[in-house]
Amino acid sequence: MAAVLRPPWRIGVDVGGTFTDLVVIDAAGAIHIAKSPTTPADPTEGVLAAVALAARQLDLPVTGLLRDCALFIHGSTIATNTVLGGKGAKVGLIATQGFRDTLEIRRGLRADSWDHRPPWPDVIVPRKRRLAVDERVDRRGMVTRPLDPESLSRALRTLKGEGAEAVVICLLNSFLNDSHERACHELIAREWPDVWISRSSQVAPIMGEYERVSTTTIDACVAPRVVPYLRALDERLRGLGLLRRLALVQSNGGIVSVEQVAARPVTLVLSGPAAGVGAIRSLSRAAGSSDLICIEIGGTSCDVTMMQAGEIAMTDQLDVAGYHVNIPSVEIHTIGTGGGTIAGVDRGGMLWVGPHGAGARPGPACYGLGGEEPTVTDAQLVLGRLKSGSYAGGLILLDERRAAEAIERRVARPLGIDNTAAAAGMIRLMEQKVRHAVERVSIERGYDPARFTLVAGGGAGAMHAAAVARALGCRGVYVPRLAGVFCAFGMCNSDVRHDYVQSWLGDLDTTDAQRFAAAFAALDAKGRAMLEAEGFGPNRVALHRLLDLKYTGQQWTIPVAITLPFDPRAIRAAFEESYSRLYGHHQPDGNIEIINLRLAASGLLPAVELMAEAAAGGAPAPSEIRNVYVDEHHGRRPVRVYAGADLRPGQSVAGPAIVEEATTTVVVGAGDVLSVDPYRNYAIALAEARP
Amino acid sequence: MIDDPVLLSLVQKQIDHVARQMGWVMTRTARSPIFSQSHDFSCFIGDARGNVISQADGLPIHTGGGGFALRALLAAFGNAMADGDVYLLNDPYTAGNNHLPDWTLVRPVFVDGLLSALVCNRAHQSDIGGGAAGTYNAAATEIFHEGIRLPPLRLIEKGEVRADLWQLLLLNTRCPDLLDGDLRAMLGSTEIGATRLSALIRELGTTEGQAFFDAILGHAERVMRAEIGRMPAGTYRGEDASDTDCFETKDVRVRLRLDVADGGMVFDFTGSDPQTRGFKNSSLANTHSAVYVAVGAFFDAGLPRNEGTYRPIRIVAPEGTVVNARYPAAMTMNTVYPAGEIIHACWKALAQLDRDRACAGWGKVAYCITSGADSRGRTYVMYHWHGSSGGGAVAGRDGFNTIGQLTTLGGMSLPNVEVFEQLYPITVKRQEFRCDAAGPGRFRGGTGVDYEVDVAASAEYSFRGEGLYTPSGFGVVGGGTGRSGAMTLTPRDQTPIDVPQYGVRSLPPLHIKVSSPGGGGWGNPHERDPALVLRDVEDGVVSVEAARQYYAVVLTPDGSAVDLTATQTLRRSLSQPRPPGP
Repeated sequence: MAAVLRPPWRIGVDVGGTFTDLVVIDAAGAIHIAKSPTTPADPTEGVLAAVALAARQLDLPVTGLLRDCALFIHGSTIATNTVLGGKGAKVGLIATQGFRDTLEIRRGLRADSWDHRPPWPDVIVPRKRRLAVDERVDRRGMVTRPLDPESLSRALRTLKGEGAEAVVICLLNSFLNDSHERACHELIAREWPDVWISRSSQVAPIMGEYERVSTTTIDACVAPRVVPYLRALDERLRGLGLLRRLALVQSNGGIVSVEQVAARPVTLVLSGPAAGVGAIRSLSRAAGSSDLICIEIGGTSCDVTMMQAGEIAMTDQLDVAGYHVNIPSVEIHTIGTGGGTIAGVDRGGMLWVGPHGAGARPGPACYGLGGEEPTVTDAQLVLGRLKSGSYAGGLILLDERRAAEAIERRVARPLGIDNTAAAAGMIRLMEQKVRHAVERVSIERGYDPARFTLVAGGGAGAMHAAAVARALGCRGVYVPRLAGVFCAFGMCNSDVRHDYVQSWLGDLDTTDAQRFAAAFAALDAKGRAMLEAEGFGPNRVALHRLLDLKYTGQQWTIPVAITLPFDPRAIRAAFEESYSRLYGHHQPDGNIEIINLRLAASGLLPAVELMAEAAAGGAPAPSEIRNVYVDEHHGRRPVRVYAGADLRPGQSVAGPAIVEEATTTVVVGAGDVLSVDPYRNYAIALAEARP
Repeated sequence: MIDDPVLLSLVQKQIDHVARQMGWVMTRTARSPIFSQSHDFSCFIGDARGNVISQADGLPIHTGGGGFALRALLAAFGNAMADGDVYLLNDPYTAGNNHLPDWTLVRPVFVDGLLSALVCNRAHQSDIGGGAAGTYNAAATEIFHEGIRLPPLRLIEKGEVRADLWQLLLLNTRCPDLLDGDLRAMLGSTEIGATRLSALIRELGTTEGQAFFDAILGHAERVMRAEIGRMPAGTYRGEDASDTDCFETKDVRVRLRLDVADGGMVFDFTGSDPQTRGFKNSSLANTHSAVYVAVGAFFDAGLPRNEGTYRPIRIVAPEGTVVNARYPAAMTMNTVYPAGEIIHACWKALAQLDRDRACAGWGKVAYCITSGADSRGRTYVMYHWHGSSGGGAVAGRDGFNTIGQLTTLGGMSLPNVEVFEQLYPITVKRQEFRCDAAGPGRFRGGTGVDYEVDVAASAEYSFRGEGLYTPSGFGVVGGGTGRSGAMTLTPRDQTPIDVPQYGVRSLPPLHIKVSSPGGGGWGNPHERDPALVLRDVEDGVVSVEAARQYYAVVLTPDGSAVDLTATQTLRRSLSQPRPPGP
């Protein structure tokens, strides 16, 4: 039966590895969901198939669905997949004479200094396509050797001969003076009009030639693949009736038009997962808390994202398949822990869980697809929190007997304990890892996780959230009913956002207020012009200004929000407060340096108001009573199991209990109380942690 | 005795997590570039008896022998320790430390009035006085020339900093600002470590805490014994040498006899050369750490990392030799050399146990250290890390072309040129891979780099050209040895001056050129995939001639492709691999 949508609506489409999720939210806040398989060979078809499916379900023609769509937002892993699959463009690199190897030297950064064996990922631009031009800018930004255009022309001839599709320009100290990079850019555009050009001073104007060249190289590597795809998709959708330009989710969680992202496609590397931010913002309103930590647990990994006082934690250091990308981005801390994570016992008789996973094939032992090794999902099955039978609409068939055999053979017998203790041990160890990941994200930033509400996303998040939250001392747990389409939902709740960074390099105390104001005015003008071009009037623009500050001698900077006019004393106070929170101390009168000016320019879209349902009375009836292992104190006992569809807003369920949703299972611990809010999301009030 | 294997696993991981948290705090708070950029520090945790129970954070060479310092501290203060105290030490002779610049801060953790654990941060200070700025006095012949010596000291007494002692420390450094900030960062990291660890011990129960620590050590021992048990029993030998004692050219050998039997290993250094005049002498703690680095790199990286892992390993280091020097020998260089020779000697012996695990040698250091006064008149110390050497190959990967030094296994990252140009009066001219310097092999060694820099001001230099003359990145399993390094020093508008291999000099503004040594190769170079050889030729890191001579790969006349027929014929005709090495 088709619901009737009230125009105009927003559509969010998240193309994942397996499924393409589509969410429509109409003017009244009603939500419609469509899920279709991703077509990896042609992601455009996947998007169009999802649109067609939704139109069919809604009993609308495709043109009708698109014509009344005020905002069509797309998040895509295409940039990341291009890098992961080594399917990027053939890139050439122009560097300063003497520095063509920076990209391959990688600053010698090793992920784990104890493990010297793993190689680095293959360098994206091989040395024969990394060519030098004769020029030099010194550390004060002065040209000490003029650019020799002939050296550039020579390099271009070589790169043309090599069949390069894209050229990276990254010259030493261009963050201080980019005149040579610009000159190279102009010359290349003139001599070689059909090559893609990525210039470091445009893509990532930051100090540090390695991070700059690496980021710019990823940009060039993905651009010739991503930009044509996006343009083609945009044209197809408009041909089918969409009146607005396609919008994309960027790594910073904000959205941007297809034309603007085409200038800097590297900003799409986290396009899919970063959209979760919009969902967190929306949930924050529904949950009535602005301090949230979200754990999204799927089959292979757990992503942790934090919102503190309504602000999403950001970073500018990303690792994409082992390549370093420095762009402002939502901080998503990922660990290799999920439902498919494998457990075993080492030679010394100690239990381990992960980081290896069973993947989709063969998958957990209980899938019966040939997996021999026990996984977290197998343990949940043995504990009764999952049950044998069909899941995910019949795509997966779970077999408890196979799970029990695998755990018996690989964990219980080697440890000399029974199967329930082994399975429970696997879950505890897995949840400890999730807890450590949450602590890393929060404690590293100087926040106590106990102040936060834990949001469970992904298929497996809600099975672990209550236990993890209890161990962290969190305020509570919130499980969105739309956990399975978290990111597509989030897209419909995002603002437009553009980030700008300008390197500064000066002492706070001797900063010239006028020069400072002028620099920010220039950034402001860029941001406003960009947003105006997208139709945002002055009253719908929000500008957030930040400084990257550090004490002299320190390498890491701290971002500190500021207001104009320039007030060094207020800035010092704000820096010292942040510093003390992060590190427990600060240096009174320490010399503070300004490294970068940053501007986040947002175009504000009206927040989506979700449709609230009236509260129903009465107690819900369980769909079954199942023998479930609750915890180490309560052991295995009969537990009420509810079907999510039977629960109504206003109703509540006392733990221990299980709630089965279409795309997730919620585990409610002993003493916990789960209640259904007006949006049909679940809030879990936690029992006190046992000593 | 702990009979809950699940809880044991949880506790072990929680302790490692605490050590890492200490590292996060330190990285973000420390002021010296040596910590914030290069992570030259390590956080580790000991039990109340002075056994290291976690070394999850930091540098391999720092923590393996950390237990020596803990036990020296316990011997000195034992029952006199109180809650809220923090201790400091650095002396290798009396305090079990590795060398003077690594200051070890120890905070005892008390739970219910009982000493339950020790949380530690060992960090290389920017300057500790002595004969040269920056802690490395290449002219030192006695430990007194190397800086201030600290026995175990109570730096904080029941929460109160001993201000007079703090002042004494600041008076004995050329960089009091840095030392002050870095000590605070170290204190902050141990504070968070102590808070987290005491919470854990309280959860377990104070008496059970030690039982868990014992079980964690016992588990590590069992894992290590099982690993060693898979190796063929027997006696193996390895030897590596330096070609200088810092004052004259002479061989200084580290000789090793390795006995493998019954799930245990004995590393016997009897026969190694006597301690030297210069500052390349090892302390007992450092020799232990170096052996543990070699063993850890050889076996699985997933091995537990605590002192239990090392119980199956016995080390014989005769007093008065270069691996266990007698007072008052100078020894600041020891975490680099002779640690490097010790690791190399161990790897040479271990390679005979399992060729698939064999590790080729890393090129030894060629670059120098520059120090002087910055524009604010403060002392700066700059390591010319951009001239780092090539690493050695292992089965499955080539050596890293330029990488932080061997004893950290690359754990110390290289800085950006742009950052260094902001911090120091230098202009870097070049940092590019060398051609034909990598040790050939099925997996070749790292290439090393050509590094050139102008230093704009007069400055003091400490030289450490260990890898300048004798090739140091040895090959394994038929792989070849990497080329040695080279260095020239040219004052502005003048002719080059002599380069001391070691020593301290005051020099005018200079142009420095370093070619850093290459790493060793793994496996017969004739078995290297010809496509990879072609790529190396196209990349300009292997010449056409070397491709033919060392890899037996023939390219087409225009150099654009492998002549497969000619290559197969040549490779077949060479039934025996050539003597390796360029």
